[in-house]
Amino acid sequence: MTHTHGSAPRSPAVAPAEPTAALKQTVSRACGRIAPSWPLDRFIAVNPFWGLIDLPLPEVAARLRALSGAELLMPRAWYREQYRAGRLRDEHLTAALAGTGSGCSLADLRGLLDEPEPAAPVRQRVVDVRDGDRDLVHEVSWRNFVTHSVSQFCAAYFDDGQASLGPAREGGLYASWRRQAVSDRSPAALMGFTTFRGMASELPASAPDLTAAALDALGVAEPERESYLWSLLLDQNGWASWCAYRRWNARLAGGDDDAISDLLAIRLAWEWMLLRGGSQTLARTWKRATASWPAVDASAAAARTSDWWLQSAIEIAWRSPVASALAAGLAEARPATPAVQAVFCIDVRSEVFRRALESTADSVTTLGFAGFFGIPMDYRPLGAPSARPQLPGLLAPRLRAADTGLGAEVEEQRARRLDLAAGWKAFKTDALSTFTFVEALGLAYAGKLVVDSLGLGGARSIERTGLSRDADARRKPRLVGSVDGGPLDAEARGELAATMLRAMSLTRGFARIVLLAGHGSVTRNNPHAAGLDCGACCGQTGEVNARAAAALLNEPEVRSGLVRRGIEVPGTTWFVAGLHNTTTDELALFDLDELPASHRPDLAALRTGLADAGVRARAERADLLGLQRKNPSRLHRAVRARTTDWAQVRAEWGLANNAAFIVAPRERSRHLDLGGRAFLHEYRHEEDDQYDVLELIMTAPMVVTHWINLQYYASTVDNARYGSGNKVLHNIVGGHIGVFEGNGGDLRIGLPMQSLHDGADWVHTPLRLAVFIEAPRAAIAAVLARHAHVRALVTHGWIELFCIDAQAGVVVAYQGPT
Amino acid sequence: MNASDPWSLGVHLAALAIPALLGVTALVRPRWAEVACALALAMTLGIVLALATRIVRAGGSAVGVRLDVVTCAMLLLVCGIGYVIARYSRTYLHGDPRIDTYDRWVLLTLGAVTSLVIASNLLVIAAAWTATSIALHQLLTFYPDRSAALVAAHKKFLVSRLADVCFWSCLVLVRASVGSLDLDRISGWAVAHPDLTPSMHVAAVLAVIAVALKSAQLPFHGWLIQVMEAPTPVSALLHAGIVNIGGFVMIRLAPWMAHALAAQLLLVIIGLVTMVVAALVMTTRVSVKVALAWSTCAQVGFMLVECGLGAWHLALLHLVAHSLYKAHSFLSAGGAVEAWRVQEMRARRPRPSSMRLVVVTLGALGAAVACVMVIEARSAAHGGPDLAVRVIALLVGLSVVPLVAGRAVVGAASMAASAASVAVVALLYIGGHSAAARLVPGATMATGTANLGWILVGAGVVVLFAVKAVLALKPGGRFSRALYPWLFAGLYLDERFTRATFRIWPPRLQRPITARAIAVRDPVGGLT
Repeated sequence: MTHTHGSAPRSPAVAPAEPTAALKQTVSRACGRIAPSWPLDRFIAVNPFWGLIDLPLPEVAARLRALSGAELLMPRAWYREQYRAGRLRDEHLTAALAGTGSGCSLADLRGLLDEPEPAAPVRQRVVDVRDGDRDLVHEVSWRNFVTHSVSQFCAAYFDDGQASLGPAREGGLYASWRRQAVSDRSPAALMGFTTFRGMASELPASAPDLTAAALDALGVAEPERESYLWSLLLDQNGWASWCAYRRWNARLAGGDDDAISDLLAIRLAWEWMLLRGGSQTLARTWKRATASWPAVDASAAAARTSDWWLQSAIEIAWRSPVASALAAGLAEARPATPAVQAVFCIDVRSEVFRRALESTADSVTTLGFAGFFGIPMDYRPLGAPSARPQLPGLLAPRLRAADTGLGAEVEEQRARRLDLAAGWKAFKTDALSTFTFVEALGLAYAGKLVVDSLGLGGARSIERTGLSRDADARRKPRLVGSVDGGPLDAEARGELAATMLRAMSLTRGFARIVLLAGHGSVTRNNPHAAGLDCGACCGQTGEVNARAAAALLNEPEVRSGLVRRGIEVPGTTWFVAGLHNTTTDELALFDLDELPASHRPDLAALRTGLADAGVRARAERADLLGLQRKNPSRLHRAVRARTTDWAQVRAEWGLANNAAFIVAPRERSRHLDLGGRAFLHEYRHEEDDQYDVLELIMTAPMVVTHWINLQYYASTVDNARYGSGNKVLHNIVGGHIGVFEGNGGDLRIGLPMQSLHDGADWVHTPLRLAVFIEAPRAAIAAVLARHAHVRALVTHGWIELFCIDAQAGVVVAYQGPT
Repeated sequence: MNASDPWSLGVHLAALAIPALLGVTALVRPRWAEVACALALAMTLGIVLALATRIVRAGGSAVGVRLDVVTCAMLLLVCGIGYVIARYSRTYLHGDPRIDTYDRWVLLTLGAVTSLVIASNLLVIAAAWTATSIALHQLLTFYPDRSAALVAAHKKFLVSRLADVCFWSCLVLVRASVGSLDLDRISGWAVAHPDLTPSMHVAAVLAVIAVALKSAQLPFHGWLIQVMEAPTPVSALLHAGIVNIGGFVMIRLAPWMAHALAAQLLLVIIGLVTMVVAALVMTTRVSVKVALAWSTCAQVGFMLVECGLGAWHLALLHLVAHSLYKAHSFLSAGGAVEAWRVQEMRARRPRPSSMRLVVVTLGALGAAVACVMVIEARSAAHGGPDLAVRVIALLVGLSVVPLVAGRAVVGAASMAASAASVAVVALLYIGGHSAAARLVPGATMATGTANLGWILVGAGVVVLFAVKAVLALKPGGRFSRALYPWLFAGLYLDERFTRATFRIWPPRLQRPITARAIAVRDPVGGLT
């Protein structure tokens, strides 16, 4: 690939380069570096560096710094503040350095706190080199222009519901872009790039051909290609993440999607054309820039290596007391059969409510389990054409839930109502009738303004759409079969139930009432609302899963199936489904019409306990919401008001400040106030013969909690790249795909600032997840040995693993199998 | 007027107190913005009540304040939306360290707009208009570390100053001809000199150019589309209030403009082109706020067309109705995902079919013709056929097509619902128009060129309908493929202006003065 020098950029574009297998692999590796980002209607958390877990975190930080200027640590000023405030102390710094064998001393680290961060250069691409000799005060920068232009095109191409007119899509993203580029006059009009259209028409017709030809013409040497391509994707990281999501979903369904390599080809085409459109001097500067890449990498790698000890130290400062307290919990005995067992999602918000509920009565025990209750299902609402996933993003649905209890008449009625609403929407947004719409109906918006301003509209539920109150009350979401329409026989139902109960370590000592509580948030006018709902249910509320699970476990056939599988659920046990509203800490119960009369008194007691727990949980969350000093009923009204307030950008704090995942029986942590910072999973290793449940927990919930943790971490340390910026500027793209911050720019992924920061201070402290597991070390080691990606999380510093050792009565960092 | 009547004087003084209240609060206690706006709204309601119960006669001027139906409608609108925005912002921007600055400029903007609305003198109107623009500039640059925000604000600033030059020149000419800038004196002069003088014709054209520039008409619309770089309530304030001021000024100058044939025709042409182009561009936009912005551009164009036709009452109705609708749309723009999810639950979608479209269109046009015949039969006493009624019937007839053709569920219940929807639209439309005609004095001051104007509008409506029908029916056809890139690019109307703005007044980023954390640095900003 050395035949392109100096004048090469001016040569005709039809380069004879053939895409080789090696190049294909390079492209696939570069694209594999980008993690998927789910759309807003199912906005689940993802570690934005998921494609990089094969590398140690500090190395990832160095590479991203060199490629895009990203920052994966807080500014030193923040650590300094923690130090001055006494949250970070010398003992933590010493502990962080202990056993690392680094030459760094305590004095060095303390000195670091007062130094400014070293400036690290970023690799220059053609687009940067062009900007380098441009008067950026009086002219638009190329980098902004290209990003914006490609982003607008992607939005039009992927649009799903906003525009009524889009580009011709045949041939895929690259082909569609190329057709558009040939007729695009804006590079000429805005940037003075008058030869753009001619050059675009000479581009190879397919993405692989373009990639091969452009890399040759740009003279990027073989070893540098992957990093170079990766850096181009990082410039368009939002749309790249969207393409990665499409690919992720396609692969879960057994197919594939290569929009991401098309996107890469588009950015590469821009690089090539910018080089061709530049002067001879530019070509020389570009050569020098490519030659400087190794030096840039080296300087980025050296920039903040010691800072990672600061990060470790601040993590130690929080973890050590938690570890000691968990060890103290080892003395606690398993509780006798309680009156109520309440199963909540592992979500950190459950911790607050569970503690509150337990404090109302000793006879209540709570358990933690993934909020989809282990049912790998999707859900088709009555009359809807398609089902939506109700399970973690890691999995593909196998079972189908649907609304039962409603007749064809209700379905018809819902269809008519939705159809009429669609007609009105068409009338409102059509290019011609929109004028008539305004004169006929515009004045009615005065009423809507009043209703919404005063928050009179009431909380809305998507499930109720097009249903009367009565029909909604009769609606019963239940498992109806498998996704392909096949039935779910008694045998399969029994097996499903047994797996579920084993996975939540609830196989004996059943209480009279077992509450299965999913969770959901209620907010208005919030593009990222799904991010506050249950991540284990793919950004939906857990209502459907909880109701389907409870109904399943109450079926007599299933009960006998459970007996055959060695799980004796007493006839006096009844499963009740509930939904924990995380915005108001209210807990609604469902399907109570099916509750046996014998359990009425138990239900009354449960309701009192839940109401009491709500009061306590709200009081605990009040400070952070700025609602302190209110009496319980006023506080309750205040949090309820937030659910209907269309201007509220911080209705609740979601999973902010999450820091740990504890996999152990509740006795270990019941005496602890974990401040809503820990995910809690019930697990009794002594009942897990083959350690299948342990394997499940470490490969699914542990990965999901890590994704959430890293989403918050990345959105905090570099909100400009891995967060979505200022919520008051958000502008929803393509119906549900994502947001722009303001007019345009790249699609934004991650969390808005308002979910992390209260205007004065960070509410989320970026700590990597500490995972505490009570299980024999050898069992943990065996799971790690079988699953390379889980092992990578531990060995590469993405999570810190601790072993709760019941025999020795200690909690120790996991240091390998022995 | 009846200034000696103490009631009348009191009410006029109360009107004067509204901008004073907003202004003083801005300077002394901006934090009390919501309270001040609530008070202003209460005072407005009092004034409206006084006029509605005829305690005070409408149409009079005293202490520099003109109180009539137009003033009342505009005051209600501005103070109502002002209150909604102030209340919304208090929660929305909670925690922003510069919220005082924000509130101050919101209040000053509202103060300037309310002074403009109540003024009885063109000089005050011009001054308040300029002041509005300058106060708004502070809101548009609320995040001075966002380059795209600065570019848009600078573009707006340049266009507005150009408009100011036109408008102030217009004032000079009017003062020279009429000898006064008092609105009543100008009206009186125009009634006495129906042919106007050449200099008054020039003045009228200058006024129309100023209005078109400040109303974001093509090709100077770019800034309006790009101000999504300011907090959502600022977009609401701008799109629901400030951009409409041009229409209000035209309504104030109606008695003069009715005779300014060239200026009126110019306004019809500018408005019509903007309306057709912007409405089509809107259908290609990919983000919710930008689509709303193009919609504003088109709607304001439509309102200006109504002004140019001399249909002042319709212009006022459109102005108020559109402002309310647009304010709500911006403030609730975050609900788009929820709306999308509801839409996804819809079982069947109709496939665009030309057969269906033709049938529905013919049906709708038939109904429209029938309506026209009824109306013309009833008003036969007044003389020949009324072109305006026919064009409006055409517009409404073609407008209800999506309401019916966009539905998928067939069956008696569905058809009945469709028919009922159409009837509701027609009744509300006719009701709105006749109420506006009754309320607004001088609604009949049609322009001399109105007939030509209505023909142009009719042609515009037909073209718009035909183009969108082809785009919908044959999205892959040659016509659509050729047109789409142009529409997607907004006809490339804004690029050169952006480039010029960079040369004339480049966006020099300031250090973020908001909370460092909220105003995160912008590695790859939006641009146009």
